[in-house]
Amino acid sequence: MTFVCLLPLLGVGILRAEDVQFRAQAPAQVIVGRPFQFSYTVNQRAKDLRAPEFTDFDYIAGPYTSQSSSTSFVNGKRTSSFQMTFTYTLMAQKEGTFSIPPATITVSGERYTSNGVKITVLPEDQPQQSNSNSGQTAQRSNSGSGQTTQSGPEQGNIFVRTLVSKTKVYEQEAILLSYKVYVAGVDLKQFTNNTTLPDFTSFLQQKIDLQDVQLELENYNGRNYQTATIYSTLLYPQKAGDIQIEPASFEAVLLVPNQARSRSIFDDFFNSYTTATRTLRAPGTTIHVTPLPAGKPASYAGGVGKFTMDAKLSSTEVKTNEAITLTLTIRGAGNMKLLKTPAVDWPEGFEQYDPKVTNNFKTSTGGMSGTRTIEYLAIPRAAGEYILPAIQFGYFDTEKGKYEVLSTPEYTLHIARGAGDQTATAQPAGVNYVNKENIRELGSDIRYISAANFVPASDSEVLHIPFGSWQMYLLYGCPLIIAALLFLIFRKRIRENADIIGMRKRQANSVARKRLKTAKKLLSEQKKEQFFEEIERASLQYLSDRLSIPTADLNKETITSTLRNRTIDETLIERTNRVLSDAAFARYAPAMGIKPEDLYAQTEQLINDLEDCKL
Amino acid sequence: MKKLTNIFFLLLLSAVAFAQSPTELWARANQAYTDGNYAEAAADYSAIIESAPVITRAYAPVYYNLGNAHFKHGELSQAILAYERSLRLKPTDKNAKYNLRFAQTQIIDNIADTQVFFLREWVTTLRNMLPLSTWMWSSIILFSLMLVCLLLFAFSRSLGLRKAGFYISIVCLVCSTIAFANAASLHHRDSVRAEAIITRGIVNAKASPDRSGTELFTLHEGTKVTIHEELGGYVNIEVGNYNGWIPTNTLERI
Repeated sequence: MTFVCLLPLLGVGILRAEDVQFRAQAPAQVIVGRPFQFSYTVNQRAKDLRAPEFTDFDYIAGPYTSQSSSTSFVNGKRTSSFQMTFTYTLMAQKEGTFSIPPATITVSGERYTSNGVKITVLPEDQPQQSNSNSGQTAQRSNSGSGQTTQSGPEQGNIFVRTLVSKTKVYEQEAILLSYKVYVAGVDLKQFTNNTTLPDFTSFLQQKIDLQDVQLELENYNGRNYQTATIYSTLLYPQKAGDIQIEPASFEAVLLVPNQARSRSIFDDFFNSYTTATRTLRAPGTTIHVTPLPAGKPASYAGGVGKFTMDAKLSSTEVKTNEAITLTLTIRGAGNMKLLKTPAVDWPEGFEQYDPKVTNNFKTSTGGMSGTRTIEYLAIPRAAGEYILPAIQFGYFDTEKGKYEVLSTPEYTLHIARGAGDQTATAQPAGVNYVNKENIRELGSDIRYISAANFVPASDSEVLHIPFGSWQMYLLYGCPLIIAALLFLIFRKRIRENADIIGMRKRQANSVARKRLKTAKKLLSEQKKEQFFEEIERASLQYLSDRLSIPTADLNKETITSTLRNRTIDETLIERTNRVLSDAAFARYAPAMGIKPEDLYAQTEQLINDLEDCKL
Repeated sequence: MKKLTNIFFLLLLSAVAFAQSPTELWARANQAYTDGNYAEAAADYSAIIESAPVITRAYAPVYYNLGNAHFKHGELSQAILAYERSLRLKPTDKNAKYNLRFAQTQIIDNIADTQVFFLREWVTTLRNMLPLSTWMWSSIILFSLMLVCLLLFAFSRSLGLRKAGFYISIVCLVCSTIAFANAASLHHRDSVRAEAIITRGIVNAKASPDRSGTELFTLHEGTKVTIHEELGGYVNIEVGNYNGWIPTNTLERI
C-alpha cells in the first residue's frame, strides 16, 4: 500500500521539474459591445495573478478561477496534467487592434510572465436590411461579386470567397489561393465530400494541409461573420498570360429550424431542426502571369524567388583516391522543388558521382521555403594542383524583377600522391607499366583568333600585281625580250667567229703565195736569213689558217696530230714536217747547207698538194 | 533630348572609329573578342576590311578573326563567308581550314557531293593549295628560268650543259604553263565569283525565276552553292545534284 501512496508523490516531483507554462488566451477577433472571455492558464498550482490593466476594454467580471486535473495510465505509463484557469469577462469599447500586455503569476515562489495578446475589434453589424438585400441580388445574379449568398430564414448568410494572395505574378512565382467560408446567422454543420475544385491547369499545385480549422470573426461588407479557410493551395504558374481559374463549388450541410409552428410544447422547447444541403459557389478569378524577361543567365537553374547559396568543401588538400565532398546549400523561398541542380565542373582526373540531394522544404501560406542541400562527391585520381571553378546559380529575383547569379568561390585543390597510387614513380623497380590513354576529346570549338600583329600595307601589297594586267605580261615579256636580244648577240658573234676561220681557210693559199712571192724577192736580193724566215712564216701561217689552229697552239705536234686526225696521207705529213724543220734549221743554222731554191720549191709543192687535199 | 544626345554620341563614336588606324582597330577588336563582345569585334574587323584600299594576302587573318567573331556571335553564314574569304587569300591557313570545317558541321544541309572525276578533283585541290599571286609569280620565275636554260642550250660549248639546259627548259616550260593555268583558273573564279553562301535561315529553290515557280527543294543557312546565272532578282544555283532559282538577296557571293 505504501508503494501505491508513493507514486503520486513521485509524480508531483516530476511535474514540478517540468516547465511552467503560463499563457494568455483570447479570441483573435471580437465585436464592439459584445462581451468575450479572456483567460490565463497555467499548468501548475499558482497564486498571486497580477493581470495588467485592461485600458482598451470594459472590465465586466472576473477573474473566475477554475482547476482541472487528470491522470491517465496508458500502457503502464502514467501521465497526469493539471490546469488552472483564470477567466475574465471583458467587452470591447471601440474598433481597432489592441494588445493586452503580459501578466505575471507566482508558481512555487517564482514569478512567471505570460505572453501578450493582440485582439482585433470589429465594428458592430450594420442594419441587416441592406446586407440581406445585397445578398439576395448576389444570389439572383450569381455574379462574380465575390460571394454567393444563401439568405437564410433568419436573415442568415453563408457564402464562400475565393482569395488569392496576388493577381499579377511572374512565371513560377507562387500565389496562395484559398477558399474561405463566411457564415452569419445560420448553423453550418459540415461540408460534404461533394466538392468541385478547378483543375488548376497551367499551374504547379502544392496543397497546404489545414490541420485545425480556426474559426475567426471577420467584418465583411459591414457585417460580422464567422469565417474559416476550408481549402488552401500554393500555385506556381507554368506559363505566361492571363490564366483563368474556374469557379469552385462546395456543398454545405446546414441545420435549419423547422419552419412549421409545432403545437407540442416539447417541440417548441427542444427547437427541432432539419438538415439541408446547400451548394456554395466560389467565383473564379484571373491571374495575370508576366513571362520571365529575356536575358536568362547561362547558369539559370529555373529558380524564381529569393535564394542564397553557401558552399563548403570538405578539404582542399587531399591525397589521390580520397574523396572530396562539396556541399552546396541553397536556402530561400520560391519554387524550390523545380530548382535544377547546378553542375559542378570538376577538373579532369576527378571521378565524380551523382550528387546527393536533400530537401528540407516547408510549405506555408507564405509559399514554399527551406533549404536544398546538394552533396557532390568526387575522387581525385591524379596528383597535382587543380582549380575547381566557381559554381554559378542563376535565378529570377521576384522582388528586384531581374535575374541574379549567385556564385561560390573558386577553390584551388592540392592533390598529393596517395600511398596506393599506381604511377610510374611509385612502382617498384622492374615493374614498369602505365595504363596508356588516348588523348580524350572533351569538347570541340573553333580555334582562337589570330593575335599576331596586323600590318595592313605589307610588302606583299607592293608586289601585288593583278592577274591579267599589263604589268603581268610585262613580267613575261621582259625576260623574253632580254633572252631574244642575248640570243641575237651571241649568234652574231658566233657567226662572225665562224666567218673569220672560214675566210682564213679560204684565203690561206693566196696568203701563202703572197708570202712565197716576197720570199722569192728576198732570195733574189740575197737576203737569205729573211728568206728562210718568210718561208717558215708562210708555211706556218698557211697551216694555221688551213687547219683552223689558233696561233698560240701552233707547233709541230699539234699540226701533225691535226693532220693525222683528218686522215692525210702519211708521206704528205712527212713532207710537211720536213719543210717546217728545214725552214727552222735553215733559219737558225745556216751552216747546214740547205739550198734556198730547193726549200722554196718544196714549200710551194707542199702548199699545192695540201690545197688539193680535203681538209 | 536624350535620344538626340545618344545619336550625337553614336556619331562621335563612329567618327572616332573611322579616325582609327587599321592597326588600332585590330588591337581593339582582338580585345573585344577576348572580352566576349563578339558583335563589337566583328564590327571592328569589318571596318578594317572596308577601309582597305586593296584586299591582299595580309588581310587573311582579319577575315579569319571576323569569321571567329561571327561564329561566336551565332551568325553561321557570315562566319563561313569570312572563313572562305580568308582561305581565298591564304589557302594554306590551317586554322582557317579547321574552323571552316567546324562551322560547316553546324550547317543543317547535308549536301551529297556529286561524283567528280578524280583527276579533276586533284587538279582543283592542287589549284587551291596556293594563292593566285604565288601561282602567278611561280609561273613568271619558271618562265624566266626556262629562257636562261634555252640560252644555255643554244650557246654552251659543253655538251653536258647543253643537254641539261634543254631538259630543264622543257620541265620549266611545263611547270610554268601549269602554274599559269592555275593562276588563270583562280583569277577566273575570283572574277566570276560563282560560289556563294546562303545567308537566309531557310530558302526554297524554285523551278523558275519568279514567285509562282514550283518549289523544288529547301536550303538552309551556310550552305555553299554555285551560281550559274542571274535574272531579275533571282539566281540560278546548283548545289549537289540540284538546280533551282532562289532570290539574289538570300545568298552572298564569296
